[in-house]
Amino acid sequence: MPVGDPDPESSAGSGAGGSPVRYENVSKQYPGSDAFAVHDLSLEIPAGEICVLVGPSGCGKTTAMRMANRTVEMTSGDILIGERSVRDGDPAKLRREIGYVIQQIGLFPHRTIAENIGTVPSLLGWDKGRIRERVSTLLELISLGPEFADRYPGQLSGGQQQRVGVARALAVDPPVMLMDEPFGAIDPINRSRLQNEFLRLQAEIRKTVLFVTHDVDEAIKMGDRIAVMKKGGELAQFATPTELLMEPADQFVEDFVGADRALKRLALIRVKNVHLWKAPVARAGDPTVPVRAAVESAEVPHAVMVDAENRPLGWLSARDLSGDVVPEVPDSAAEPLLDGEITLRDGLASLLASGSRYAVVTDGRGRLDGVLSIEIISEFLSSEEGSQVSIPAVDRAGI
Amino acid sequence: MPASDLFLLAEVSEDFFRDRSGGGCIRENRLFCPGWVADNADRYVDPTLQHIVLVVSAVVAGFLIAFSLAVLAHRHRWLSSPFLAATGVLYTIPSISFFFLLLPITGRGAVTAIIALTAFTLQIIFRNMVTGLRNVPGEVTEAARGIGLTRKQLLWQVEIPLAMPEIIAGLRIATVSTVALATLAVFANGGGLGTEIVVGSNITFKTGIIVAGSIAVLMAILFDALLLLAGRMLAPWTRAAG
Repeated sequence: MPVGDPDPESSAGSGAGGSPVRYENVSKQYPGSDAFAVHDLSLEIPAGEICVLVGPSGCGKTTAMRMANRTVEMTSGDILIGERSVRDGDPAKLRREIGYVIQQIGLFPHRTIAENIGTVPSLLGWDKGRIRERVSTLLELISLGPEFADRYPGQLSGGQQQRVGVARALAVDPPVMLMDEPFGAIDPINRSRLQNEFLRLQAEIRKTVLFVTHDVDEAIKMGDRIAVMKKGGELAQFATPTELLMEPADQFVEDFVGADRALKRLALIRVKNVHLWKAPVARAGDPTVPVRAAVESAEVPHAVMVDAENRPLGWLSARDLSGDVVPEVPDSAAEPLLDGEITLRDGLASLLASGSRYAVVTDGRGRLDGVLSIEIISEFLSSEEGSQVSIPAVDRAGI
Repeated sequence: MPASDLFLLAEVSEDFFRDRSGGGCIRENRLFCPGWVADNADRYVDPTLQHIVLVVSAVVAGFLIAFSLAVLAHRHRWLSSPFLAATGVLYTIPSISFFFLLLPITGRGAVTAIIALTAFTLQIIFRNMVTGLRNVPGEVTEAARGIGLTRKQLLWQVEIPLAMPEIIAGLRIATVSTVALATLAVFANGGGLGTEIVVGSNITFKTGIIVAGSIAVLMAILFDALLLLAGRMLAPWTRAAG
């Protein structure tokens, strides 16, 4: 793989994809200590996947990650990127071929955004024109306008700085990225946005990512695979998010994943992918008699009024249906209104927040898709389907 | 050596009292005689130039030495305390004693003065630079290392540029105090504005002292402003942030 040599013609600027990463019996002991920081860790991370290292503080997850770029040197074992051991060669050279993002971001305050992003390319001796081109591609990739190029990090918000941190890590299109709690210092709203942005980006660039977090929810959201670690640097379980939630390997993982792991499974599937209920549908001017009859026998005891394009306008109340024809304006608005793309977990949250038993679900073009109810969610959790969600139920490209 | 030897330059020429303005300012022994200044402006040119040479040589030499010491102390933390102690001792030696100590080695003259003045700048420049290097945020050095900067690149491309505001601050203090201290170079026969102050101090006539002193003050302000400007140019991000 031509590391540091991305195709300049590519619109995303990143066609290289990832390399597999293999940990082979990796251990770390710090001098003067008998205890292991990381003990006999073996992981196999396929190319292009996000592997999340998660665990309580002091479990060695950051140490485990940092041995991959030798900012921490392993005591024994080996780490292979592609077919090459990280032990071969000069650590500084190795690090230029591995993207690195840390929680505190660590942008260079004395350099402009463009210079920050261009750090590794200029270390590798790229010519100025090529660097400029690459920087503008990356700014576009992280949705920052070209006017940001000449600003200093101190002039950017935390979220913008973290995006620049990611762009700097991607500058030479490395096959592997290390991300150490990259969104840990960002407020919850922006964190969720950055997570989604990164997943969207990842769908495009397909890097092999080692991602460290202490937050199980983040691990489930971000990970294709999750390595749960426990004190002493032991690997407790290495599994997909679903396996982790359905079959925790031991009591530690079960406790760590949390008593609400059933609920967490809801984050793995989209509303549009469960079996939604059908509500009787009516348009303005329709005769009410058949609608009333349909309401009697339907799964959802309320009719939904839609427009000519089948877009929901509101719920029809008994009063709306008491006349001969359906009125122009329904009694209550079509709320809560959910986009079928959101996760079941967010759908449940909306239902609970609105105090309603039913929510109208629309497809990508805003047309009525069905109705989500609390019962659907509880059935999903107890059903075979719920326990066998295959990953990735939430296909990451479209979040 | 008798102290009077140090005042060799303090011989007052007849010429000194020439007062072509004819205003009787000198006769009346006023505090400041502008007419005399107008007539005697040329006598300050050489001392001023000498003074600039003294200050610039001392600060440049001091900067080069302190810079190297600070880089060493940054790489090897244990060196920091002994360096601080050594430069501290140099800083506390009274300047006149310093000239005496150097006389047998370097003799009388500008070199002796510059060596002493250089020694005085070390402490301030060294301490500021070490502080500046230490204040570089840990996450910045961690990120720099993590994306593949070598130790040398880290120092020259990240740590020193980020320490620049503190380095310049140290240089400014050192320069201003050297402008003042350099007036004592006259006691080592090193020239400078001190010659005019010593000449003036042997008599009751004050104008000469005031002129020489004012030139020194102006020089200090000018150097300070130049360094301030240089600092802004070398650290543009400090003003852009926020």
